[in-house]
Amino acid sequence: MTTTPPAIRVRDLRKTYVVAEREAGARAALKSLVRRRKIEIAAVDGISFDVDSGEIVGFLGPNGAGKTTTLKMLSGLLHPTAGELSVLGAVPWRREKAFLRQITLVMGQRNQLVWDIPAADSFELNRAIYRIPSADFQRLVKELTELLELGPLLRKPVRNLSLGERMKCEIAAALLHRPRMVFLDEPTIGLDVTMQRRIRGFIAEYNRRTGATVLLTSHDMSDVEALCRRVIIIHRGKLLFDGALSDLVSRFTEHKTIVVQLKDCRADLRPYGEVVSCEDGRVTLRVARAETARTTERLLADLPVSDLTVEDPPIEDVIERVFAQGTP
Amino acid sequence: MTGLAEIYVQQFKTTLASFAQYRAAIFIWMIGHVLEPLVFMIVWSAVTLSRGGLVGGFGAGDFAAYFLVLMLVNHATYTWIMYEFEYRVRHGDLSFLLLRPLHPIHTDIVDNLSSKMLTLPLILVSAAVLAVVFKPVFHFRLWAAAVFLPALGLAFLVRFLIEWTLALAAFWTTRVGAINQGYYVAVLFLSGQVAPLALLPGPVRAAASVLPFRWMISFPAELLLGRLTPAQAAAGLAIQAGWLVLALLLMKVVWRAGVRRFTAVGG
Amino acid sequence: MRALRLFWVFFRVGVLGELAYPANFFLQLFESLLDLGTALGGLAVVFAYTETLGGWRPDEVLALVGVFFLVGGVIRLIIQPSMESFIEAVGEGTLDFTLTKPADAQFLVSIQRVEIWRCTDIVLGAIVLGAALSRLGTRVGPGRAAVFAAALAAGLVIVYSFWLILATLSFWLVRVQNILVIFQSMYEAGRWPVGLYPRWMRFALRFLVPVAFATTVPAQALAGRLNASALCAEAALAVFLFGAARLFWKVGLRRYSGASA
Repeated sequence: MTTTPPAIRVRDLRKTYVVAEREAGARAALKSLVRRRKIEIAAVDGISFDVDSGEIVGFLGPNGAGKTTTLKMLSGLLHPTAGELSVLGAVPWRREKAFLRQITLVMGQRNQLVWDIPAADSFELNRAIYRIPSADFQRLVKELTELLELGPLLRKPVRNLSLGERMKCEIAAALLHRPRMVFLDEPTIGLDVTMQRRIRGFIAEYNRRTGATVLLTSHDMSDVEALCRRVIIIHRGKLLFDGALSDLVSRFTEHKTIVVQLKDCRADLRPYGEVVSCEDGRVTLRVARAETARTTERLLADLPVSDLTVEDPPIEDVIERVFAQGTP
Repeated sequence: MTGLAEIYVQQFKTTLASFAQYRAAIFIWMIGHVLEPLVFMIVWSAVTLSRGGLVGGFGAGDFAAYFLVLMLVNHATYTWIMYEFEYRVRHGDLSFLLLRPLHPIHTDIVDNLSSKMLTLPLILVSAAVLAVVFKPVFHFRLWAAAVFLPALGLAFLVRFLIEWTLALAAFWTTRVGAINQGYYVAVLFLSGQVAPLALLPGPVRAAASVLPFRWMISFPAELLLGRLTPAQAAAGLAIQAGWLVLALLLMKVVWRAGVRRFTAVGG
Repeated sequence: MRALRLFWVFFRVGVLGELAYPANFFLQLFESLLDLGTALGGLAVVFAYTETLGGWRPDEVLALVGVFFLVGGVIRLIIQPSMESFIEAVGEGTLDFTLTKPADAQFLVSIQRVEIWRCTDIVLGAIVLGAALSRLGTRVGPGRAAVFAAALAAGLVIVYSFWLILATLSFWLVRVQNILVIFQSMYEAGRWPVGLYPRWMRFALRFLVPVAFATTVPAQALAGRLNASALCAEAALAVFLFGAARLFWKVGLRRYSGASA
């Protein structure tokens, strides 16, 4: 129960675009010179949520769902069409300097770092722009260099770095001014698994050390699974789910998966549940969530089971079901 | 204000560090900057030759002096900011400009001046070579030379503000480069780069004085060449100052409109 | 003919692409008109103070301006955009897409991009040429017109070959785009008769960067100042340069295919 106001407060946020539409072919092209057909697209269609200071929240959704649009509105880059929006007590699209100094936005595969010079030199420029006191700056650079393992990377021109190395430097540059609000838009996209893991670890550590609020968008589940206790699912501009990841699974699936290891596939397990597959005695069963405990008991009692695991269906399947269902 | 000064110093260092990468490109741009006044120097001396005397008060040596000084003034005041903005809009870098707690014009101005500091030796050498070949005739006056620097500074500011504002077209179109071309061509005539403004017919000369282009390029040159009376010089400085205020206002208005448009439709 | 059909396909794609942005047409028209206005204005000012310029009469220099715009338009319509795309493709390794197509790579590369709105320059140039012709009067007969057409064609071949040679350098060097800018800058000198310039400049504008063959020579042909031997020399240069460019292209292509394998 917090009496401090939320760090982010969003009420009925809406963003619509007007787009010209045109078909292929020469005749349509000429027609469009005279009259253009315009359609309205709602990128964000009335979403509401609060985020408390220090939370790490993941925004999940397929491409075009409205995640990036939401993030851009929160960081002041886009003006909402309707709705209320307040971040750290300020109205983002007013882009007040005091507000901008407290936030940062990192976009996957895009660089604010100057391309031709070493990252360290870009850091110095940021230091001046964000008015970071010299002593703090030295300490921060050291800290970030350690946490992100930047060492030799800082002296190389940014264009000579690999994608992953560039991303690390980019994140470091974005955090030099110790922002209280960190927006990450697909930060691990295009990176290899090791680098993704390293960056996720860093973000968690940064949140732990500074208490900064972190908002992260991704269409990759692993980012969200690793970092966020709370996840917001956006699809076609609407908020489909807002809560703990564990709740997501239990809310949207009625089934659990039981994997039993037997000697062979001769036994007929259909009385126990839906047999999904059997290979070399390894049987995958789908059972109703409520029946899981009892079915497990029966299996262990009736059959020569050498191994048994109870699993949730993969999160991707859950999410897909959420999207397929639309608004619950 | 020390905050801003610090930013200027760091931007200068950043430009310095990036410069090595752009050496070739800048050298090639300079060819154009030297070739253009050179061509007109030649054309106008051909005119004096066929005329066999002065052309509107200009002899061959006077033309050489005029285009030489104009070349230096143009170099001091020119910008490439429209190309810079075209690059920014194509690579989605405009977002980063808007996320910084700083008006982007500051770093752009310093980048411009820093680059010029580095190319100054080259343009001076070119000027020296041209001087040897074309034998310019100068009529320096001490007071005019003293007023030249403030006039040049004002000319730079007016030109930079206007061209920076034009570059903001990037918020509305990706074809900023095309606008740059059109602008450049228009400016050519009315800034005295095709012919000294004194040689243009009356109405055109009047138009050139009403528009800002004379005050961004031709005026400092006319001053240094001793072609203006003290009264004209003083009036000119006042007009430059007036244009500075106007350009500043225009920049603010267009910047605000540009940001509004960006936040309405996205990058 | 297949080549013509291919060209038409690229042209059509270029047109369709650009029709999506009608504003670009007006932008280009505005820019071209400004450019022409400045050129004509410059002409007007110069000839306010003299009867002839380096032996050229005003209408002859007007014809030169027409040729300058016409040739400049052709260059900016297809030669420049295609060569720029080609250099970019070499740098990014996407040239392979073109190389795997069942047509001559050089041809494909040379017509791949058409900046359709640049035709305003061509049209304006033709109009100016027409105006100059009418002012020069009945002195332009079919013979001279043929000589002019031949000189123009040869000039275009020379310019194309030159651009191709420069662009082919991108198989060996990086950032060749910058070198192309040199042509742009030097082409500006083609607005005035090359004979005006000092000897070292004339040489540069003829044999270093062949601007003279694109502009002054065809204009000379129109004014009847081009003698047969000069025309033959230009034609020979065109053939030679085209052959050299093709050879150089093949060498470069071999290197590229070998290197990326």
